Amino acid sequence: MSEQKHTEGSVQTTGHAWDGDLQEFNNPLPRWWVWAFYATVIFAIVYWIIYPSWPMGGSYLKGVMNTITYENDKGEEVTTHWNTRALLAYDMKNSDAAVRQSEYLEKVTNASYSQIAQDPEMMAFTRSYAKGLFGDNCAACHQQGGVGVIGKYPNLVDDSWLYGGTYVNIEQSIQNGRRGNMPNFESLSDKQKDDLSEYVLSLSGHEVNRNKAQSGAKVFQANCVACHGADAEGNTAIGAANLTDRIWTVADVPGASNLEAKKVAIKQVINNGISRHMPAWSGRLSGDEIKLLTVYVHSLGGGQ
Amino acid sequence: MAETNTQNAAQYNYDIVRKFTIMAIVWAVLGMGVGVWIASELAWPFLNFDLPGLTFGRFRPVHTTLVIFGFGGSALFATSYYVVQRTCQVRLYSDAMAKFTFWGWQIAVGLAAITYMMGYTQGREYAEMTWPIDLLIAVTWVAYFWIYVQTIRRRSQPHIYVANWFYIAFILATALLHIFNNWAAPVNLFSLTSYSFHAGVQDAMTQWWYGHNAVGFFLTAAFLGMMYYFVPKQAGRPVYSYRLSIIHFWALGFMYMWVGTHHLHWTAIPDWTSTLAATFSIMLLMPSWGGMINGIMTLSGAWDKLRTDPIMLFMITALSFYGMSTFEGPLMSLKSVNALSHYTDWTIGHVHSGALGWVALISFGSIYHLLPRLYDTKLYSLRLVYVHFWLATIGIVLYISAMWVAGIGQGLLLRAFDDYGNLAYTFVETVSFLHKPYVVRAIGGMFFVSGVIVMAYNIFMTIRQSKREQAEIEAKLAAKMA
Repeated sequence: MSEQKHTEGSVQTTGHAWDGDLQEFNNPLPRWWVWAFYATVIFAIVYWIIYPSWPMGGSYLKGVMNTITYENDKGEEVTTHWNTRALLAYDMKNSDAAVRQSEYLEKVTNASYSQIAQDPEMMAFTRSYAKGLFGDNCAACHQQGGVGVIGKYPNLVDDSWLYGGTYVNIEQSIQNGRRGNMPNFESLSDKQKDDLSEYVLSLSGHEVNRNKAQSGAKVFQANCVACHGADAEGNTAIGAANLTDRIWTVADVPGASNLEAKKVAIKQVINNGISRHMPAWSGRLSGDEIKLLTVYVHSLGGGQ
Repeated sequence: MAETNTQNAAQYNYDIVRKFTIMAIVWAVLGMGVGVWIASELAWPFLNFDLPGLTFGRFRPVHTTLVIFGFGGSALFATSYYVVQRTCQVRLYSDAMAKFTFWGWQIAVGLAAITYMMGYTQGREYAEMTWPIDLLIAVTWVAYFWIYVQTIRRRSQPHIYVANWFYIAFILATALLHIFNNWAAPVNLFSLTSYSFHAGVQDAMTQWWYGHNAVGFFLTAAFLGMMYYFVPKQAGRPVYSYRLSIIHFWALGFMYMWVGTHHLHWTAIPDWTSTLAATFSIMLLMPSWGGMINGIMTLSGAWDKLRTDPIMLFMITALSFYGMSTFEGPLMSLKSVNALSHYTDWTIGHVHSGALGWVALISFGSIYHLLPRLYDTKLYSLRLVYVHFWLATIGIVLYISAMWVAGIGQGLLLRAFDDYGNLAYTFVETVSFLHKPYVVRAIGGMFFVSGVIVMAYNIFMTIRQSKREQAEIEAKLAAKMA
């Protein structure tokens, strides 16, 4: 270690050296650094004066010249020192967005379904409001925009409805959920299943083998009419599908390339039956939310 | 040179430094590789292949543990053992204990990674290790502390060099943090599950006292220790200001301990704790910058080195990223900024500008400085050091800009209202927005890891070259003798 002081310009080193050549200049603290540090301290002190800061015994400094006045749950006006709970309560009622939203909400919740549908402004608000509800609660199954997934989650944008497409029907579906069940018909013979699938395809205007379809009609009469009806147009009271339109929610008939593949898709449903369950939302969404969501779903495509 | 190094080899324990250095590289390749994997999982979710051990939730702590404790920790053990010996001019206190710290640490890191993939976790961020591993770490750490203090006590230098203050502060603080955050009662002796001794808000605040000081003391103070030795050594110039080093050392240590609660802004904590955390974070800015100033100003008068010395490039860039992320941190700790940034990828970007930009780059620079001296040879290729530097820098820039876009973008989407006062976007829309930034982030990570692989190759070749040279010298000696 060398005791000799090395100099560079006017600044000296501390006079120590480590590991051969490791030394330290003794430059003063940069002036701007010191002042910037003081500035941050002043900033902190001002902050401490205005906001809740240092603990004092069992309490803490509440902050001065910084109060929030808000309306509490009981509708009373409360003034308190700045705190995040009061700020949230205030914001939820008094922020620009909250004020705007509550004006529209009041209008819409007091209007009937048909009044909303006939008023472009209320309709526009409802679409904007329920888009979020739908995205956060429904889209996980029914997909963005309500297009559904064939075989799993019903499409909400067409005008075919398993449980009916009126406001009341849709509201009930959301409120209570739905439990769809078709028993399996595994016990039918292979020929019966084959004929039945030809018949079911013929119902929606597919070109099929007429002889097979005719014998399939008998199988249909014996097994399916109780739910799907003699005319095969379904029953919205129990969610039985209409088989005469070209809309399919379980068997992926549109996605099958030829008649044989379409039959396979249908036979799968005959073999396995269907069990689908949509949960009830009445406990999770408020009545007003369900109402607006009903209008939204109704407006997606085929509201009746 | 060769002569002095042979003397050094006898005088100092270099073997332990070599071991930790090599493991630092091994953990870097593995840990950063896992990082790229999980980053890619977020962009392309099929990559978890439905294997529980590879899912993001389990693989993410593997990444953080391997890079922070595996890579960062090993680099700190290596450099601190090297620096304390050279600046105290004395051999490490105990070879056997040093070896114990090596195996204790490596086994703890390895076990942690394996148990996480099996699903065992304490659920405390950066302290996920189950209690038996926590005990192993505690014992190892106490041994580390003892070795360090005893070595300093035996120094043949009257003064303790500044780098050692930082290392000691890091060792001491990490011991406190580790013990008090992991304080827990095992369910029973044969269970890996345990109950924390803290509960509720105290538990959350203890966890983030630990979490943020892991950043403050493990990832900052310790690497400043590294900086204070390797930057002046590599620059061949004295440290800029002794006074600044003292002031910012104490200010840094004092301020850091208060700020952890800023990770809990806008949650169910008392408002006054939030205020103190935010204000101390602001007051931490200049003490942090003290280290950056001291590092960068050390080079003033030798700027030309940046044109010829890629190792210096690593160090200066590290200091610049350090300055940037210690500016960004206080900014994000303000409640109003935090309301936007919290729970978004801005936080992830911020951590990585510190972790990749500061911690990793200063470690790479130091290892490049260290290695030829440990193996008594020259670096195999300086050109590859340049290649590594550019791969790393491009990687970091891609990473942090992608995360700024992702984080600030998602934050703005989440709080956007439309003309009717309704939230303008659904949550899922803010998620699908993240896809492109996630792809860019994964690519940034790939650049960074490629750089590390280049480094691993360069180091492997350097060691091989050293062995060949040794063999040649021995052959010549043998020939002379004969």
